[in-house]
Amino acid sequence: MILDCDLLVGRDVTTSARLSPADLATTMAEAGIDGGAVGSLRALSFDPPSGNDEAHAAAPTCGARTVAGVDLRDPLGAEREIDRQRDAGVRIVRLAPARQGVPASAPGLRACARRATRAGMLLLVEGDVRLYGPPLAGLDAAVVFVDLHFYQLGDFVVLGRDEPGFHASTRLLGNPDGWETVLAELGAQRLVFGARTGWFEARSVLTRLDVAGLDADARELVTARNLLRLIGEDR
Amino acid sequence: MIVDVHGHVGPWFFSAADASAADNIRRMDAHGIDIQLVSAVEAVVYDPVSGNRRLADEIRTEPRLKGLAVVDPRELDVAAAELPGLLATGQFVGAKIHTDYARSPGGSPAMADALRLLARYGLPVLVHTWGEEIVGLAENVAAIPDARVIAAHMGGPDWRLAPEAAAVTDRLWFEPCYSVAEPGRVRWVLDRIGAERMLFGSDSTLIDPAVTLGAVRAAGLSADEERLVMWQNATTLFTLPAPRE
Repeated sequence: MILDCDLLVGRDVTTSARLSPADLATTMAEAGIDGGAVGSLRALSFDPPSGNDEAHAAAPTCGARTVAGVDLRDPLGAEREIDRQRDAGVRIVRLAPARQGVPASAPGLRACARRATRAGMLLLVEGDVRLYGPPLAGLDAAVVFVDLHFYQLGDFVVLGRDEPGFHASTRLLGNPDGWETVLAELGAQRLVFGARTGWFEARSVLTRLDVAGLDADARELVTARNLLRLIGEDR
Repeated sequence: MIVDVHGHVGPWFFSAADASAADNIRRMDAHGIDIQLVSAVEAVVYDPVSGNRRLADEIRTEPRLKGLAVVDPRELDVAAAELPGLLATGQFVGAKIHTDYARSPGGSPAMADALRLLARYGLPVLVHTWGEEIVGLAENVAAIPDARVIAAHMGGPDWRLAPEAAAVTDRLWFEPCYSVAEPGRVRWVLDRIGAERMLFGSDSTLIDPAVTLGAVRAAGLSADEERLVMWQNATTLFTLPAPRE
């Protein structure tokens, strides 16, 4: 089973590309992705409540869990939306400070991360880990950095030593030893399969998986169980 | 057969791993790559003189690795002095120019001078392209009759400009490696420029070949496209031995 923690539907205003839940499901099936966690670009770009309703509707189509998006440009609204999604049973929140032009120093970023963490929610965090990792430290937060590029991996490892809840997504770890470095330095429990299927060339990440040399246990952790553990669904 | 026209021999400044030619070979074997054209990381990010010389030593005993001599357009007198010795080793089949590290955009006069020098040696050139400079590079190539250039990364985030650049000159080819691989990119470009104009490249050992191989496989190449993109365009351009029947 392969779960993609980094699924999105909607329209990307920066590229004008669109991806419907049905098209995402088709692309996932073609790539061999069985499910994962899906959020809404509408929620991240324009209107979290209606966008998150869209994510809820998309989740069954994609065989995925719902990811709630919030808008950090409106921290008070983001807090309300976290509470609303918590009450609806959502276990994952996506924070997109880079996409929303919110600096790492913005108090609302840490406040929302704390609120979601206290609600037992997993955070999917976009942007440069060197900028957005430090303000999330010390909260006992469970985080997957979905834009972690191998250029920044050393800093992620340094940060992750003191933050057992910090996890790396596989998507941009396309160098020869990125996956292996996470496993060697932090353990297989800290790497979560993410490909942003439909928006990124998932086949590239899957080909990297093929040559990662993971044993069966590590492969199972990376491709599914780590995500399930982080949202309280691991067996 | 697979020929990878975009490789480097390390080490890279942010990683201690994959630092020798043997590491290139290991990654090539993992992905079925037969030949890789490599430039020295040292030559790209620091000093072409020491880096190119070191590469010549490094690949002397690795016949599957062919050298690309790094040229800095700001130091063409140095390049002119070094190239005869490097070419005499028989290990270099082309040149490499990194527009960013060498602060010489694809459309700059310095780039034109460099391409003119390398054309005199009959060397195809792999030029790093990022953004709109890919069109300026095409205009430079068009103005230099014997220049033959591969646009590495196809412009990176501005890959949609590749067809526009391709229309400027038929002596510009395109190589698709990109660590932030958007889906459908290879097929989109291929359908607009033709398989005769694209060559496989990985940017190994910076990027694992898995990334671009996955993107190319996702494009669903026909048998003819596979032959052209994965090796024949490269063996023709760089005069490499074709596979045995």
